[in-house]
Amino acid sequence: MGAQISSQQRSDHGEVLLVHSLDSWNTRFQNSKASNKLMVIDFSAEWCRPCKFIEPAVHDLAVEFSDVDFVKIDIDELPDVAKDFEVKAMPTFVLVKKGKEQERVVGVKKDELHRIIEKHRF
Amino acid sequence: MLPIISLGCLTPHALSPTLSLSITKPPYNTPLPPLLYSTNPKHNPTNTHNLSMAVSGFEGFEKRLELQFSSHDPVTGIGLRQLDFKSLEQVLHQVQCTVVSALGNQHFDSYVLSESSLFVYPTKIIIKTCGTTQLLKSVQPFINHARTLNLHIIALRYTRGSFIFPQAQPYPHTSFHEEIVYLEDSIPHHLCYRKASVIPSKLTSHSWHVFSAGAVEYPDDVPYTVEVCMTDLDQTLARKFFRHPNDGKNGDSAGREMTGLTGINRINPNAQICDFAFEPCGYSMNGLDRDCYSTIHVTPEHGFSYASFECLGSMYNDMADMVKKAVKVFGPATVSVATTNASDDVCMRIKGAVEQLGMKCRSCSMDVVPAAGMVVFQTFTTRRKRI
Repeated sequence: MGAQISSQQRSDHGEVLLVHSLDSWNTRFQNSKASNKLMVIDFSAEWCRPCKFIEPAVHDLAVEFSDVDFVKIDIDELPDVAKDFEVKAMPTFVLVKKGKEQERVVGVKKDELHRIIEKHRF
Repeated sequence: MLPIISLGCLTPHALSPTLSLSITKPPYNTPLPPLLYSTNPKHNPTNTHNLSMAVSGFEGFEKRLELQFSSHDPVTGIGLRQLDFKSLEQVLHQVQCTVVSALGNQHFDSYVLSESSLFVYPTKIIIKTCGTTQLLKSVQPFINHARTLNLHIIALRYTRGSFIFPQAQPYPHTSFHEEIVYLEDSIPHHLCYRKASVIPSKLTSHSWHVFSAGAVEYPDDVPYTVEVCMTDLDQTLARKFFRHPNDGKNGDSAGREMTGLTGINRINPNAQICDFAFEPCGYSMNGLDRDCYSTIHVTPEHGFSYASFECLGSMYNDMADMVKKAVKVFGPATVSVATTNASDDVCMRIKGAVEQLGMKCRSCSMDVVPAAGMVVFQTFTTRRKRI
């Protein structure tokens, strides 16, 4: 399909999916609306050190909650999506179910992120 | 105008400049509060000065360091924000604190520390720590790390109020004299404009200490900073910063709750807030609003209660209004406001705003320091309090 539209660390389960294109994002988002699965969107930026700080913890959460979709969006690559979700600082984690925002965590807050994923999981 | 104890101002000198060290010892004449033992784990259980801590309370008054850098490269890019996390942690380890939470935006990165805050801009670092941290030990490591990014230091400013428990402070913070000697040894020669100043107030327990050094005497385009220190907090208001046992919350969620319940989120509704609640009590937050940071730290325990509010000036915000809202959150008996490079208008408006809360301005003193400009130090107390 030409240019890389998304990349995955390993498999589709228990990992964080990096979404690079708008088309890829739209597809993902539409799929998410159709299912009952919780989706965690990780908004970050290459130059944001706090985002790098929490990266390992997010991967651990993706493994722990393998039934939850973890998607990572670089706000420089997809600024419109970041704007749609009103992302003003990073990292911002938005929990979405059936296309609707359930809750969000702004900042490096591992315990809180764990708590709300558990809360909205099912 | 109260007399200022200035410690000498240097003319530019290519060789190692000397700062006059004939310092009048700060007037620590106030009787100490009753002996208290602090059980707050926030208060650095690994600190080697636990014995001192056992006969005093937690020191809320912070030490603040601001380092300004410059690049030889025409495009600085993200500058210091490139520093990897390992490097930052290394420096923080020297100061005996760790990162508790973090948040960044397009202008800067902010970190909530176990003992206050760190802000990293492309060419500026601000680090503020309380308790018995050895903040000045971060000077050389920061300068060295910056050098690896081709950034060199052009200005340094160190400020603090008066410690509630000065005898609990470790080297090099046992006295302002010692801090100055340490700073002089830590900074490169090209920061040749230097001045140390102790700005007094009518309260012997409240003086403002400033050490400023720069490669240029009068910098242009320096934003102003406001540092508010509050003591003797209203007990009912301070209680909001205590965790409830078995509240089923973590430090993040408890912190967010405190931010809402106390009205801290209304001080600047435009700011993105990164907050944290310590166990069994204590609170910290960093606010991010465009390129302006704000930060609040609370030590709520009775006997040595303290809260600070610091904010970078901006044309988008009404500083006086923010200071007023911040003071209202804590209901302190004593407030000190130190501004650096603020206009007379801003200082007057802040004074007016604090007075609107029923407090009386007890003193207003100032001094001019190189590389930072005019420092104005105002103190306020509630009307019923006698000096």
